[in-house]
Amino acid sequence: MNPATPWYLASIILLLGSLVPALLLSARHGPVDRLVGLSLGGSVGVLTGLLLSQAYGQSAYLIVPFVLAVLAVTGVLVYTRLLGPR
Amino acid sequence: MKTFAYVLLFSGVAIIVVSSWAALWLRGVLVRLHYLSPVTTIGAPLIGISLLVVRGWGLATGLILLTVLLISASGPAIAVATARVITQREGVTPSKSPE
Repeated sequence: MNPATPWYLASIILLLGSLVPALLLSARHGPVDRLVGLSLGGSVGVLTGLLLSQAYGQSAYLIVPFVLAVLAVTGVLVYTRLLGPR
Repeated sequence: MKTFAYVLLFSGVAIIVVSSWAALWLRGVLVRLHYLSPVTTIGAPLIGISLLVVRGWGLATGLILLTVLLISASGPAIAVATARVITQREGVTPSKSPE
């Protein structure tokens, strides 16, 4: 086990703790609040993926947060179009 | 050097955690939208620089920096687009896209 891994795991746990507000925002409030929660969750998810890749020492895992970053940005922008008035 | 990387890492994580919980705690969607910005423009670059310091330059580091750049660059665009939706729904700005 990489000696730096506990530090990364601690930071991953903290980041997962910050996913809770994003999930609550996405689940409980109005449409635009949910959009804010979705955007927050996407950003935190991407950063968690980066740190997971570093913690496990697997560079191949980096493609997951990269694709998630592209899809999260695109998804939020699509929702902004859908939530606007017709 | 690794201590510097950990300081950057935990600074970024702390900013993200505080911003996320503040976004949930405070009321008003525009206020919440403001607390989204530190996550993308401060927290993500701090974590990216921390990983750069640990790993050094390389192909994987390039992918990390590209991902962080994508998040950081798209954060303000998402904030503006979301704020525009809010003002459109409130009738402050016209619903048509600017020509």
